[in-house]
Amino acid sequence: MTTLPNHQDAGQLRPWLLLRVAEFTERDPATIDAATPLADLGLDSVYALALCGEIEDHLGLRLDPTLVWDHPSIDALTAYLSALPRDHGA
Amino acid sequence: MSTVTDLERRFGDPWDPANPLGHRAVLAADERSEMFADGERMLDDFALNAEFVPTALGGRLTGLDRLIRVMRSVFRHDPCLGLGYGASSFIASVNVWAGGDAAQHRRLADLLLGGHKVASVYHELAHGNDFARVDFRADPGRTGELLLTGRKEVVTNARRSSAMVIFSRTSDAPGGRSHTQLFVEKDQLPPGALRYLPRFASSGMRGVQLGGIEVDRCPVGAGVALGAPGSAMEIALRSFQLTRTGLPAMTLGALDTGLRAAVRFGDDRVLRGRPVAAMPVVRGVLAESFVDLLIADCLATTVARAVHLLPEDTNVYASAVKYVVSGRAIQAMARLGEVLGAQSYLRTGEYGIFQKLSRDLAPAGFGHAARVACLATVLPQLPRLARRSWAAGQASPEDLYDHRAELPPLPFERLRIASGADPLTAQLLAAAEALPPGTGELLRELTRTFTGELARLRTAALALRPADLAIGGDPAALDLAARYTTVLTASTCLNLWLAEQGRPGTFLADQAWVTAALLRLAGELDGVHRALPASLAGPIHAELAGRYQAGRAFDLFHDTLPDRPRSRN
Repeated sequence: MTTLPNHQDAGQLRPWLLLRVAEFTERDPATIDAATPLADLGLDSVYALALCGEIEDHLGLRLDPTLVWDHPSIDALTAYLSALPRDHGA
Repeated sequence: MSTVTDLERRFGDPWDPANPLGHRAVLAADERSEMFADGERMLDDFALNAEFVPTALGGRLTGLDRLIRVMRSVFRHDPCLGLGYGASSFIASVNVWAGGDAAQHRRLADLLLGGHKVASVYHELAHGNDFARVDFRADPGRTGELLLTGRKEVVTNARRSSAMVIFSRTSDAPGGRSHTQLFVEKDQLPPGALRYLPRFASSGMRGVQLGGIEVDRCPVGAGVALGAPGSAMEIALRSFQLTRTGLPAMTLGALDTGLRAAVRFGDDRVLRGRPVAAMPVVRGVLAESFVDLLIADCLATTVARAVHLLPEDTNVYASAVKYVVSGRAIQAMARLGEVLGAQSYLRTGEYGIFQKLSRDLAPAGFGHAARVACLATVLPQLPRLARRSWAAGQASPEDLYDHRAELPPLPFERLRIASGADPLTAQLLAAAEALPPGTGELLRELTRTFTGELARLRTAALALRPADLAIGGDPAALDLAARYTTVLTASTCLNLWLAEQGRPGTFLADQAWVTAALLRLAGELDGVHRALPASLAGPIHAELAGRYQAGRAFDLFHDTLPDRPRSRN
């Protein structure tokens, strides 16, 4: 296992995801708990698909669109994405 | 003899009042709010269910486009048969093919090939298309057992089906992993455990048995689950790519008969000493309705083939088909009704079938998935598709636009819950660069209209705020999704016409219809109706009249039909 392209380690990915979720849910990023299920933050299945598309384009990866269902919080997404091998989806 | 020819021959000429399977008999059953029993017996003999079973499991299902073509014949004669005999089992079965294991595949194939019906048990009145919030539950019972509790309402064939595919909640957590589909055979349930709700009275589809079920802690073996626990949303969103494409495409059969009724009436009815069809305004409406049918079929057939050839990208396309095809067909029927006048309103007589078809067509706009719910599926995917696909042209995969070419088997495992890219729209840009010499100035100008619109859509899609992507966002964003479906449709029309250039001399290779199609679609963009100029209405009406006289279908396939024109009766 190596880190993602562009060295998107967890330290950079988490704040980026937090900002995206804040933007999608129109909340102050400071009020978002990264461990809370995204659905509880008001990020419904429609947003989940759109967020997955943003992550793909941000990281230059192809991901399974069910990503946000299977890793349903910012912490879970960060952990999953940080652990992906470098050549994932290439 | 092709399957369609065989099926049409069994139905016989629907306009012949002596035909026991003709319009008169279909209407009589509808007046009694009954399924058309003689029609059902004929479809039993024909083994229509085999059309829903893949050939590898002993059925006749090879391609989605071929299935649509066969089912369109059923919808041409009686949409109640189309839905109540056929399509409802198709909807349920697709989920099993997409999510079930080999034993479940075998069992479903045996049931269908044995003539049984399978109900698709998704819908709850309280939640409509919002399946993420369904309440029907499957809770753990004793080891190896599930307990079913809840109600499902407005379910086709709830009572007479032998098996059900039930969308049920298996976790209280919100999100996409809280539901599981269950493939339940009724004789697996304890006697009396399944209660049936009374039929829901409806405006159209009166013969179809629209019922409901209710259970309370009803035990069933846990082996009924389709796929992994929590996979229902994923299986449903994959299956929708066949059903949201297939069902509206099938219902175009009802528009075929509606258009045939109007052409027939135009020949039959004399005003001021001349047949109504001689009036330019009537010819115009008939020609435009024919073009509407062709437009709808271009999108539907292309997407049906794309499900085989571009399965990673068809999620958005299937919802676009549902939105575009149902809307265009319903609008075309309404305009044809104006041609028929009082005859569109009478429930008996030679044209009595028209009002039934109009009523039966209406659920195409809301049944299974509402048109606006389809736009809501398209919208959140647009920014990504705009980034990935809307700036550079792409060539079409070989065979996409050639409906004579064989397709690979349905790739259920490759269908995704969101589109990866948007090759069909990118093909618009390629087509615009590939217009052959001799392309008329109007068609060139219309092509520029659509490439220009795509550029505007791209700018607008990239500027969408995340809050506008979801239900409850800015209505202008939904309008963007609707405009996208129009551009997508224009791309399929233009590319199909380009592919037909390999067969010169045919109606589909001629530029009249595609010019008219893009003209009608351009009207969709700016809300300005553009009447077809006489130079287009003339040849298009001539083709329509020729097909009517020869007894040919009005869609892309122009199959031979048993319908004889009035003058020969």
